[in-house]
Amino acid sequence: MKKLKYMVTAVVSVFLLSAGIHSELRAENKGQVNKGEQIYNTRCMVCHGKKGDGEGPAGVLKKEEAGGRVLEIRPRDFTLGLYRFRTTATGCLPTDEDLTTTIYNGIPRSFMPPLKEMHFDDKVAVMEYIKTFSSRFKDDPPCNPIAIKKPNWVGSEASVNKGKVIYKDMKCWECHGDTGKGDGSKSNEIKDDWGFQILPFNFQTGELKKGSSPENIYMTFTSGLDGTGMPSYEDTLKEDDRWHLVSYTLKLMGKLDKGKKVH
Amino acid sequence: MYSRFYLSVLLISGLLVLAYLGFTAYDSFMPEWMSYQFEYRDYLTKNAKDDAAKKLARALPLEFTQVYLGEMNKVDRCTNCHMGVENPLMENTRLPYKKHSGNYLVNHPVDKFGCTVCHEGQGSATNTKEAHGKGHDTHWDTPILPLAYVQSSCAQCHDTNMLSKSGGDKVAKGEALFMEKGCKGCHKLKGVGGDLGKPLDKVGRQPIAYFTMKHIVGEHTVFNWLKQHFDDPRAIAPDSAMKVKLGEGEADLLTTYMLTLRPDEKPKSYRRINFNEPPVQNGETLYKSYCSACHGDGKKSLYDEVFKRTVPAIMNPSLLKVMDDTNLDKILKEGRTGTQMTAWKKTAAGLTDEQIKEIVTYMAANRPADRPEPFRLAEFKGDLSHGKEVYDLRCAVCHGTNGKGGEDMLGVSLRSKVVQKMIDPEVLAITVRDGRADTPMPAFGSDPFGMSKQDIADVVAYIKDFQSGGGK
Repeated sequence: MKKLKYMVTAVVSVFLLSAGIHSELRAENKGQVNKGEQIYNTRCMVCHGKKGDGEGPAGVLKKEEAGGRVLEIRPRDFTLGLYRFRTTATGCLPTDEDLTTTIYNGIPRSFMPPLKEMHFDDKVAVMEYIKTFSSRFKDDPPCNPIAIKKPNWVGSEASVNKGKVIYKDMKCWECHGDTGKGDGSKSNEIKDDWGFQILPFNFQTGELKKGSSPENIYMTFTSGLDGTGMPSYEDTLKEDDRWHLVSYTLKLMGKLDKGKKVH
Repeated sequence: MYSRFYLSVLLISGLLVLAYLGFTAYDSFMPEWMSYQFEYRDYLTKNAKDDAAKKLARALPLEFTQVYLGEMNKVDRCTNCHMGVENPLMENTRLPYKKHSGNYLVNHPVDKFGCTVCHEGQGSATNTKEAHGKGHDTHWDTPILPLAYVQSSCAQCHDTNMLSKSGGDKVAKGEALFMEKGCKGCHKLKGVGGDLGKPLDKVGRQPIAYFTMKHIVGEHTVFNWLKQHFDDPRAIAPDSAMKVKLGEGEADLLTTYMLTLRPDEKPKSYRRINFNEPPVQNGETLYKSYCSACHGDGKKSLYDEVFKRTVPAIMNPSLLKVMDDTNLDKILKEGRTGTQMTAWKKTAAGLTDEQIKEIVTYMAANRPADRPEPFRLAEFKGDLSHGKEVYDLRCAVCHGTNGKGGEDMLGVSLRSKVVQKMIDPEVLAITVRDGRADTPMPAFGSDPFGMSKQDIADVVAYIKDFQSGGGK
């Protein structure tokens, strides 16, 4: 009898303890969202808007490229839960790490500043708050990140030449232009999922927004940039072919020129 | 020591020497120009209308001629090949003996003007390659001008006014483009203009070695450099910060105009320049010439990838609302140190006080009638440490923690002389409170920021403290 009493106490206490931890976790999550909201409103709201709809007080940002093209930069609208910079398959939600990486690194050429000095917990808090703008994070199942293994021949001349053929065959030039200046025949007709005109990347203007490492470029081909005209080539191109295309992209960006290192 | 081998070597080399001697003899008795003269005489004889003309053509002497132009110190031997330039019978024949196109030679007879005065090239040479001065090995800085640019030579003796009406429209159009596209915003000409680019005074007559020809496609000539640099400045000079937005054919027109910019003067007896004062520019044309290349229409602020900073919207009504003419005048005269904005006063970029006033008046036409509600900054005492807190929270994201703005920053520099010394702090306070419409600068005095008047006074005090070493 005594044994049973002990066992019951043990089971009950374990149950109580776990319930306690669980509720504490939920409270912590809620606390994080509150903290995130605070940080969001001081640092992000000016561009992304109080409701996360990308219509902050700063409005549409304008930028003139070296070639004279004027880009209109619209801060991301978080309410649709559509993200370009992911490590997941097209149509998927980004992973938590994808979001914090963007918060940490910022987005080059878009005025999204890097927040490198921000405390890790704060970044997680902002990330959790940003997720509350879209119901997708509640409704959709999370996706696993795509595994990457860079072959060592990426950037070799043979690979660049193969990539060049793929660039032609896959009609990359229709948007990005024959020499990668973003001036292809269709470059003026592309709209994003919000209905705004967007311009394809000019490989000669600088760094890619997702980052210009071979892995990042490969990820762009694989995951696609959801919400823009850039599709995923996960199903249409073999893995090796995507890596050849990476080589050719690096070539177009001038990153294979002598004296320049591939990061 | 008899050897068949050595004997055959001797025989072959002997024959080669003989062949070479033969060729040299033929070459000197029948130079390039003479064969053209034969062809010319044959053509005239064949196409003669009557016997008298045929006789005359047959009697045409084959001889070496030259035009000596004492005043210009030139000897042109071009007509040895281009024999028919003044002969109306040669209208529909081929080069080199074809008649000169148009009626240019009516007023510019070859015996008085020669050829190279307009067409460039090396007048005293006696073969095509050297006469046209093409190719590195001719060592000639002014090779024959392509027809697209040849009008540039007219400006040596004629003024634009006259050229626009008769036969020199490309020069006139080029000059108009030069004024309209804002080239002088960065380049000095006759001492007036910005200082971001090189002065253009002698650019049309610079030696080839003055230009970096590394990326030029085709012949390394000054006109090819100019044309290709207009087409894509950074393809030719990778570090160039030049901004060009040119339409179809405009690069050719500007190249033509650039080639007219030369220091040498033709003798007085040749010149037909009308020394009237150039037309006075009004505020609008002055703005186009000196401001528009960077500021465009001045209505919207734009981050510039080449300048690596945001170019302010200087004709934005909400800026003009807070800035009076005196402030604008000061900024135009003194420029913004540390940015691409030049000081435009007489002693720097060379604009007169009247011209600057014209520009200010032109800009001020966009000023709205209503005045901003005064802030009365004097009634507040700014708290620097709270100002810093507000600054780091609200301003640093665009203007940078150090207030310098710059690369990949949306905000302008707050450390410039303009913000620190020229502008009344009251203007700063109003700007923080009301923001600037059509730019990313939001109104911090209202929702969703809701900064209090004291907050604004504190942050203005903090920004103003930069000049005495405040901030990071």
